[in-house]
Amino acid sequence: MNARRVAAMLGKESREILRDPITLGVALAMPLIMLLLFGYAISLDVREAPLGVLDLDRSPLSRQLVRRFTDTEYFALAETYTDLHAVEGALRAGSVKLALVIPRGLAQARQRREAPRIQILLDGTYSATANLLGGYARATVAAVGPAAPAIEVRTRVWYNPSLRSVNDVVPGLFGVILMAFPPLLTALAIVREKETGSIQQVFVSPLSGPEFLIGKLLPYGLIAFLQIAMVMAVGFLWFQVPMAGSLALLLAAGGVYVLCTVGLGLLVSTVTESQLIAMLLALIITLMPSFLFSGFLFPIFTMPYALQLYTAIFPARYFVDLSRGVVLKGAGLAELWPNLVLLIGYTAAVFALAAWRFRKKVA
Amino acid sequence: MDSALSQAQPPVVASALARRFGKVVALAGVDLSVAAGERLGLVGPDGAGKSTLLQLMAALLDPGAGHCRVLGFDTVREAAKIQARIGYMAQGFTLYERLSVDENLAFAARVRGVTGDTYRERRAALLAMAGLEPFAARRERDLSGGMRKKLALCTNLIHEPPLLLLDEPGLGVDPLSRRELWQMLDGLRARGVTLVVATSYMDEAERCDRVAFLDRGRLLALDTPAALRARAAGTTFTVTRTAGGALPPATLPGVRSIKHLPDRLRVQLEPGRNGSAAQRLLAPLGTVQAVEPDLEDVFTLLAPAGEDAAAAAWPAHPVAAAASAGGIRTVGLTRRYGAFTAVDAVSLDIPPGEIFGLLGANGAGKTTLIKMLCGLERPSAGSATVAGIAVTGARGALHRAVGYMSQRFSLYPDLRVAENLRFFASAQGLSGARARAAIAAAAAESGLDAGDPRRAGSLSGALRQRLALACAVLHRPRVLFLDEPTSGVDPLSRYRFWALIRNLAATGMTVVVTTHYLEEAAFCQRLGLMQRGRLIASGDLATLRAQADLAADAGVEAVFLAHLRQTA
Repeated sequence: MNARRVAAMLGKESREILRDPITLGVALAMPLIMLLLFGYAISLDVREAPLGVLDLDRSPLSRQLVRRFTDTEYFALAETYTDLHAVEGALRAGSVKLALVIPRGLAQARQRREAPRIQILLDGTYSATANLLGGYARATVAAVGPAAPAIEVRTRVWYNPSLRSVNDVVPGLFGVILMAFPPLLTALAIVREKETGSIQQVFVSPLSGPEFLIGKLLPYGLIAFLQIAMVMAVGFLWFQVPMAGSLALLLAAGGVYVLCTVGLGLLVSTVTESQLIAMLLALIITLMPSFLFSGFLFPIFTMPYALQLYTAIFPARYFVDLSRGVVLKGAGLAELWPNLVLLIGYTAAVFALAAWRFRKKVA
Repeated sequence: MDSALSQAQPPVVASALARRFGKVVALAGVDLSVAAGERLGLVGPDGAGKSTLLQLMAALLDPGAGHCRVLGFDTVREAAKIQARIGYMAQGFTLYERLSVDENLAFAARVRGVTGDTYRERRAALLAMAGLEPFAARRERDLSGGMRKKLALCTNLIHEPPLLLLDEPGLGVDPLSRRELWQMLDGLRARGVTLVVATSYMDEAERCDRVAFLDRGRLLALDTPAALRARAAGTTFTVTRTAGGALPPATLPGVRSIKHLPDRLRVQLEPGRNGSAAQRLLAPLGTVQAVEPDLEDVFTLLAPAGEDAAAAAWPAHPVAAAASAGGIRTVGLTRRYGAFTAVDAVSLDIPPGEIFGLLGANGAGKTTLIKMLCGLERPSAGSATVAGIAVTGARGALHRAVGYMSQRFSLYPDLRVAENLRFFASAQGLSGARARAAIAAAAAESGLDAGDPRRAGSLSGALRQRLALACAVLHRPRVLFLDEPTSGVDPLSRYRFWALIRNLAATGMTVVVTTHYLEEAAFCQRLGLMQRGRLIASGDLATLRAQADLAADAGVEAVFLAHLRQTA
């Protein structure tokens, strides 16, 4: 390893990056755009779900029940019906997510101290929302119900007491966004040299394989680090995600993760010869799994066991877990060291593999 | 230490060197040694293994069998030592286009440990030699093709390598720049630099001490240019056709090839034929004169008939005739890009059925002129009609009347030969029986087997070129534009390609060709010389010679340079 040669490579690479302001601009703007889109779009919170009501009882009690629903922020009265067919039509058309059917004789049943029965129809096409709405609806009905339960249950939500989705989405996005762009940029930067043939000029020179790779790694690693810093700033300042743990720990882990993502880009470039293939491969092994198998959108513990093992291949999982732990739970090294060790080990393995695969040969 | 080594043993020694890529044998057991200070030329048809041999020498490839020692080091075990010492210029433009001339040079120097005063001295000397000093701050991509190649050479000379490997340095470079490139190489010779250069230009091969002729991975001949030419001695004649004389048949017994030049035929006999018998054979065609063979004749002699065997039987006189002929007329045709004038008031008149050659340096405006005539670019001023259709008018009619084959042979590499043909036929609105007939006719005219099961990407350059030609003439255009159709193709295939062009022109098709191979200008009836967007001269070769006050036997290059100098 010769410092002067690495410096020459760094200087050349930095100049090339700076002379291509469009690519650099896209590299810096895309993560922010992605963060804004996902920060606003991915929300599992239910607010003002359209509610349909078929009140066949028409008693003060039934009107009180409907009012209890509409008084909450979860439901908004959208339609009222006079027969059951209309309810079915509305649910099928999707104009309401939930329909409340109050049968005749509700008030009388209450006077006779019988358990009154009402029906709640839910649109289950998106199961997560349906579950939430069902839960809210039961809680709302229970509050009007007559009997005091024998055991009082008081539920407290920890770590994200306001249950804001964005608090949970943004720390996860740190891991996903970093998998989306740095591997792609790095892989393209090397494969482009293969396509133009300039890499042959580099091969026939004293510059060694590791020197070449470090010259690519550092500038793109720096860009990736800028990306993570920007994304974090926007997450904490704009989305007001509360930070429970240590920012230093998050940044340090982010640094390791950045090297890992850039390393994956290097690895992709060693096995591909064209920019198109490099792009597809980078998407398949980095971006896609980081969405699906990192626990960002779908919890890993609910997956089948075989798939849970599969998720262990992708580093995004370790970082998403760590990021949420630090941001939401205020966890420190004592709890998260296994994730950090796995990330460091993963990064080292990726580099070793890339250096081993990279040869100064054209075929 | 290195110089002591190179004194002791030849800089390059290849023994039974072989390499295959999958099933394709790129190099099959080549034995070769290059002496210190020697200049070795590698020639041969497309796919002969020239680039593979150079890459094996540069330790960019590991041999499949045999071994190669370069500067005394083994290319497999001591690759790093070789790569640190030699210079290697790959095919095409392989510098960093976003970096300036100076930055490219500095990068090459710094990775090779050339710094401080040594660097400053060499930089100054190299830039002066290449004439690049005024452009030191210019970005590489803004240079002309010739300058880019010269800069690439400079980056490979910054560490003063004892051995330089060059892969087609003249490809895509105009004649003037190519001359300057070779002047630089001549300068290196005095310093004892060993040079191995792959080329498709026979004049470049002529400048080498020895020439290695490769074909399909085998070394067919290795000798001095003079000794190689001696092999073809007594086999070459020119025939000046008597007016109204009979056209020669497509094949004659004992005749290897007949080249049709506008004013005469150049005939090459099979080796070992009796000269006087040949004269008798050729006499009915016109006045026969024996001429000295050149390296191109040797090439024709050595290249065995292979995949081109089918093509050799192309129809001498094509069956179909172009619908209705049409020429080209332009008046003050101009195209500006901002403040830059790419084509400057060009007025041309090309009659139907003529083969018109456009010559000029890189960036002289040839491609822009052709694009305007095809309706791909709007003129900024002036007017032009192609086959009677105004280029500024309806594109549909113009596109039906013209065929265009671009520098890069715009084919679909992943489609088979027939699939490419069918696609271009449907793009021209041909379908069913009409499409099949058009494909059959175009394939026959292009010397192409339409049933070839291979994909376009895996064809040799010569076959890709013919496929591109077939695709361009499917709709029987009245005017055909060919933009550097023969770039990077070996001399024999180039010549065969020209025979196809001649046949097309004989049907009344007007053909406009650009080329960097000046010897090809001899195939054109008239030439137009372009410089900085202007048409500085046009006419047949004799007229151009007379305008430049040159002798009647002056070559195309001399004519070209004389006209450039006159206007400069």
